[in-house]
Amino acid sequence: MIPQLVTVGYRRPGGRWLRLYIPVVPVLLVLSPLLLLAVLAGLIACLVLRVSSVEALRGMQVSPVGALRGLGGLLWALPGSQLELEDGQTAFLIRVR
Amino acid sequence: MNEQRRQVLQMLAEGKITADEAERLIDALEREEPEAPAGAVSRSKARPKYLRVVMVDNSDGGGPSRINIRIPLQLLRAGVRLATLVPPQALTKINAELAKSGVPIDLTELKPQHIEDLIEQLDEVDVDINDPNTTVQVFCE
Repeated sequence: MIPQLVTVGYRRPGGRWLRLYIPVVPVLLVLSPLLLLAVLAGLIACLVLRVSSVEALRGMQVSPVGALRGLGGLLWALPGSQLELEDGQTAFLIRVR
Repeated sequence: MNEQRRQVLQMLAEGKITADEAERLIDALEREEPEAPAGAVSRSKARPKYLRVVMVDNSDGGGPSRINIRIPLQLLRAGVRLATLVPPQALTKINAELAKSGVPIDLTELKPQHIEDLIEQLDEVDVDINDPNTTVQVFCE
């Protein structure tokens, strides 16, 4: 399952927590037009430079399918991750659910 | 194999006891072995999902420092799979730089299967360091 909610928190020296809850799917939906634009820009750049995007990855000896699968696997495995750092009155946390 | 059984086999190998005596001793050891508690059985069945690193440091006067990290084991596996995509020439360059820094590790010899096996065995990892001011725990849950 892809991450649903990412929580980023920061506790200031005063002791007050500042928490940011990021719902991943809605944010991705909102940003999807930008992602689409970025992909299009990349493809246009490949066309202008007369470089095949697949060949560009192959030139680096990276399998495009393998790279996508690897990144997908990484994204899929993220839920449950947690990082909490606390030093005196300052603290920082990231939780992925 | 537990330690007592190993000792019996050692004694047999050294000729201190006969094969019959060794068999009787091993039978006796098997009878004496207590039944595993129900909790232990259920724990072995439920495979751990996360690697936890917990550190508490009270050595600083300004309050305790804490680190609490939980990493899904699946994430480690995914990271290993992603690392296999590193091109061979990049690995060669990394090896050269490592050798230059005095770390002669050949990363090309590190096969994904080896790392997978390592992650599989992480289930059993349990590191517990207790210092008067610092506690470090690494375990799977």
